[in-house]
Amino acid sequence: MIQPFTPEPIRFVAEDGTPVQPLPERYTPEVLRDLHRLMLQAREFDRKLITLLRQGRTTFYAQSSGMEATQVGLARSIRVGHDWVWPYYRDHTLGLAMGVPMAELISQCLGTNSDSCRGRQMPHHFAAQRQNFVSISSSIASQVPPAAGNAMAQKYLGVDEITVCTFGDGATSEGDWHAGMNMAGAAQAPALFVCENNQWAISTSIREQTASETIHIKAKAYGMPGYYVDGNDIIAVMEVCSFAAEQVRSGQGPALVECLTYRVGSHSNADADAEKHYRTREEVDAWLARDPITRLENLLAHLGHPVTAEERAALIAQTHREVDEQVLAAEATGQPDWRIMFEDVYADLPDHLRQQEAFLRAEQTGGRA
Amino acid sequence: MTATQTRPEAAPMTTGRTINLIQAVTEAIAEEMERDQRVVLFGEDVGARGGVFMATAGLQERFGKHRVFDTPLSEASIVGAAVGMAVRGLRPIAEIQFADYMGPGFDQIISQAAKIRYRSAGQFTAPMVIRTPSGGGVKGGHHHSQSPESYYTHTPGLKVVMPSTPYDAKGLLKAALRGEDPVIYFEPKRLYRAAKGEVPDHDYVVKLGEAAVRREGSDLSLIGYGGVMPDLEKAADALAAEGVSVEVIDLRSLVPWDRDRVLTSVQKTGRAVLVSEAPRISNFMGEVAYVIQEQAFDYLTAPVGQVAGFDTPYPYVQDKVYLPGANRIVAACVQALNY
Ligand SMILES: Cc1ncc(C[n+]2csc(CCOP(=O)(O)OP(=O)(O)O)c2C)c(N)n1
Repeated sequence: MIQPFTPEPIRFVAEDGTPVQPLPERYTPEVLRDLHRLMLQAREFDRKLITLLRQGRTTFYAQSSGMEATQVGLARSIRVGHDWVWPYYRDHTLGLAMGVPMAELISQCLGTNSDSCRGRQMPHHFAAQRQNFVSISSSIASQVPPAAGNAMAQKYLGVDEITVCTFGDGATSEGDWHAGMNMAGAAQAPALFVCENNQWAISTSIREQTASETIHIKAKAYGMPGYYVDGNDIIAVMEVCSFAAEQVRSGQGPALVECLTYRVGSHSNADADAEKHYRTREEVDAWLARDPITRLENLLAHLGHPVTAEERAALIAQTHREVDEQVLAAEATGQPDWRIMFEDVYADLPDHLRQQEAFLRAEQTGGRA
Repeated sequence: MTATQTRPEAAPMTTGRTINLIQAVTEAIAEEMERDQRVVLFGEDVGARGGVFMATAGLQERFGKHRVFDTPLSEASIVGAAVGMAVRGLRPIAEIQFADYMGPGFDQIISQAAKIRYRSAGQFTAPMVIRTPSGGGVKGGHHHSQSPESYYTHTPGLKVVMPSTPYDAKGLLKAALRGEDPVIYFEPKRLYRAAKGEVPDHDYVVKLGEAAVRREGSDLSLIGYGGVMPDLEKAADALAAEGVSVEVIDLRSLVPWDRDRVLTSVQKTGRAVLVSEAPRISNFMGEVAYVIQEQAFDYLTAPVGQVAGFDTPYPYVQDKVYLPGANRIVAACVQALNY
């Protein structure tokens, strides 16, 4: 039984790796190592994608470095491919941990022919049908009301799926957020709302974002439990999210989980100079000291199963190799041509688009229709 | 036929400085804030960060946090609060980070800002400016590239403006701020740094509702606004090289728009090609075409041509193909000339 509305974030492991409460049995060394592998892989994926950006091979990237425990922990708390997820744009680590192939993520970021979304969206906005990982909209909080509807459909259909909806702290200011939360609450729909509170919305701090002490207490207004968790403690995230998810699944209505974490990098490449403009080096350093990957390594060491430097280096090298291979493979498929513009606008091609397609075909082929 | 290259309003006689479009926006805001204590500026990341495009860089430092401030991430709050402030006597400038994100504030724009004067018979008004970067060409995918001006030109009570030069950007923004109506001020983001030009050192405004003739011509009127204007000029250059004299008109304001200037031009040239990058259906240029055929039908020697975006969401990879470039504009002009 995990309590909602705790004054402090729930945690299981301290920064130095000492458990602050007994660890449930399911966290065997193998499980912990698997989590560690996923988090490190996601971190290195970020690093590699930033390099691609610098090389001009992609045009946008929003890192999730520092937030790995939140996203991997959430992925491990739900039934992948069974439950449905309405994510936001910073969720590639969630996607990776849910088993969206790295090749798919990379293809989408490069907008190549291998991109399952066909180069339509800007980088980092993927969709993955097999994982029920619904398409990402850039428009902040616009996924929240549809997530409520998805959950209402699940209730209507009488299935034991739940809907997971993620968002940043900034998103909780949008009207859509409140509308979706209220709707899900009123309908008692099986929705799990997860706030990845990384404390900044581009340059706006959580303190400027809301006068509310925390995000999770807002759940009260919508008639659902709000859980407060240390988002850099992967075990705490898994314990709280799994508990909340099963409550939601069992028909208790929706729940909100606030994962308190930090984005250590910039908001995106459009904001590479965060420290210069709006936050201090000291703040970043303080959060680097609470790094979720280091914390799990400290726990593994504490439990007598340390990750050796060689193991770590090998894992990093393997991820880098994998990304490099997938980038080359994706690039080799080429870029989708102009035809993709007209497909998927509607289920069938209406006449006016047929005409515009013919116009563009003539233009692109130098008049040969 | 000779291509006349005079530019009566393109570069007004100034002895000023050469700046780019985004600097023009910043200067206009700063000067108006200096001039009028009622002017306040707010939006997402406009404060310490200086805006994601740096349009408001340095303004918070200069005018203080009470006049230049970051808001919560909520366009409904930003626009709605601006309405309330305007009603209570301030002159708010609300920045919406991208025109694509006006959606969450749409109801506040069309239900409150646009209508409060009318429904209260002028007892309450909302003079305010909503500034927002719009348009494509920056590899932003559909959420950072759209041209939603027609949603707003379709709403009575709103004025809608889109400059394409630093001179106009500064003069129009100042005029908008000194006016008595809510103005949606679109900034063509791909011209932020690309469009450079002179602005005078003295205070000036560009009246809303007046088009600019960028070059005079006698064979065809090429009419556009915003981000496509450099392409119109390129197309006119290409046609001039072929001996075709094109008159290039920059609408600058969509509501109100300069019917007289457009009609005078079309009556002279007998041909019009209208250019915008927004999707074609319900495109504002459809209105311009309608007025031309209604008022200048007898002068036309060819159907009014239109070059617009395709009726698809703005694509990421095919960003450049989507936009009507100079070649597509030339092709439409040739079609009108050969009719
Ligand atoms: C409706 C809307 N307004 C503005 C933006 C521009 N924007 C993109 S990300 C962002 C900050 C989001 O912060 P938060 O929700 O906390 O998520 P984080 O990026 O911190 O993970 C903003 C303002 C947007 N994408 N959508």
